[in-house]
Order: sequence, then structure tokens, then C-alpha cells
Amino acid sequence: MTFGNLRRMVLDVLKPLEPDIVDLARKIATLSGVDGVNITIYEIDHHVENAKITVEGEQLSFQELKDLIVENGGAVHSIDEVAAGKRTVEEVETHQD
Amino acid sequence: MKKNRVWWLSIPEFLAEIQSYNQIVGITEIARRYFVMNAFDGILTTIGVLAGNYLAGVRDLSIPIRIGIATSIAMGISGLWGAYLTETAERQRELSELEKVSLIDQRETSIGRASRFAVIIVSIVDGLAPALAALIVLTPLFLDSVIQNPVLSYALAGGTALVSLFVLGLFLGKISEANLIGFGMKTLMAGIVAIAINFLLGAE
Repeated sequence: MTFGNLRRMVLDVLKPLEPDIVDLARKIATLSGVDGVNITIYEIDHHVENAKITVEGEQLSFQELKDLIVENGGAVHSIDEVAAGKRTVEEVETHQD
Repeated sequence: MKKNRVWWLSIPEFLAEIQSYNQIVGITEIARRYFVMNAFDGILTTIGVLAGNYLAGVRDLSIPIRIGIATSIAMGISGLWGAYLTETAERQRELSELEKVSLIDQRETSIGRASRFAVIIVSIVDGLAPALAALIVLTPLFLDSVIQNPVLSYALAGGTALVSLFVLGLFLGKISEANLIGFGMKTLMAGIVAIAINFLLGAE
């Protein structure tokens, strides 16, 4: 069975304060298939912070991204958004929203 | 995926890894602190060795040289061991705290490796600083065959110690971006006080 290519991933990550998000973003940007990355901090604690990591590219590897985050002392708490396929499909607003 | 051990990396990758470790743990700051503290210890201890030998009437300089070298080795070992044990405990505590709040085993992450690397670097700096400082102060004694005057060699060694203390003070002043001469005078005063007390107590 073949899988389509991942184009966007939004991860909720708990990470130590060091390495900081500048360092982490630059490391993620070097991963194969990554076109761009955005990291936003939404909560800071004494030793750790919660970050929303958005990664976009033509051919993302979730395993590589997860390994890099773990290697830098972080943990993926949840995958909040994923886009895969020939083009990136945005979330559609429905009546329920 | 990136390799996990620094000794498997190429030189640019190794340097980048070291830079990253430095950013995580702040190795430069810790090592700098240890360097100044222990070089200061090394110089003052050697002042003690020199003053003791001079006041005891020792004019055969091979004796203070041997005592000085033995003392510098002991200070080096003391620094190495002391820093290794202290820093290991300190790093371990910080890592455990981080593990508690992150619920992640941090030992094999870049943070765990940075901690272990910091322990090694800081131990080496802590071991070398007092030993090297002591050997620098002893230099005029090594040159006795040229100077050919033991009392002058003692005086030059004392002068070297005071200059070294002043330079150490300048270094501290540069770090603090404050008054360089002020810091230099403070460290210099420590040497003068040590020499003065030794001479007051040793005067017959």
C-alpha cells in the first residue's frame, strides 16, 4: 500500500526552554522535504514551554520531524492538523463552526 | 536522521554540535567562572609556597620548585575531581528536574549529551587553571640559572604573581564590562594582603 505525501503538519509539542525555538526552527528547516516552519509558543513554564509547530513542504516525514523533536528534549503531545496529497487543502468552515 | 554521537560527525558538524551544547548548558559561562576562581586560588597558593620558602631561609630554588610543582599537580587533581563531582551532581539535578516536568527521559537527547559534555569541559578547565597559574608564577624560579640570584628570583616570582592577579582582575572587569582597573586592583590587593600577612607572621 502506498501513502500520499504529507504537505502540512501542525503539532502540539512540549519542549525544554533550551534549545530555544530559533535553534529548533532552524534544525527543522534542514530536514528533507521541509519548505518552511513556524513555531509559536503559547505557554511558558519554569523549565518547559508549549509550542505549536507548523511545518510545510512537498514531502514531509513525520518520523524525521518527531525524532528531531525528541532528540532536542521535546515530546509531541498531539497532531493538531495534517494536510496530504497533490495540493494543500485548507480547513473548511462549516455551519457547526 | 542525524547521527547521535559527536564522534561520528564531521568537523563542521562537530563544531555545530558543540555550539549547540554551549547554547543549551552555557558551558562558556560556567567554565569562565571556574577558570577565574581556580586560577586565583592557584596564584595565591603559590604565593604562599614562595613566601613560606623565602621566610624559612630556603635559597636552594630546587626546593620551592619541587614544592610548587607538587602543589600545582595537587591543585590540578583537586580541581579536576572537585569540578567533575560537583558538576555531575549539579547537571544530574537539573536533568532530573527537567525530566520530572517534561516526563521525558532526557539522557539520550541533545540536552543530556550537552550536560555530560559540560561536565568534561568544566572539569578540564577547573583542573588546568590552578595548575597553569601556579606554573606561570614559578617561571622566574625555573630561570634561576639565568638570574643567578635566589632572592631576586623570589622577588620576580612574587611580581609575576601580582601581575597575574592583576591580569585576572582585568579579565573579570572585561567580563562585567565595568571598571577594568578597579577589578584589577581588587585582585591585586588579595595578593598584596597574602604577601603582607605571610611576612608579618614570618618576621623574626
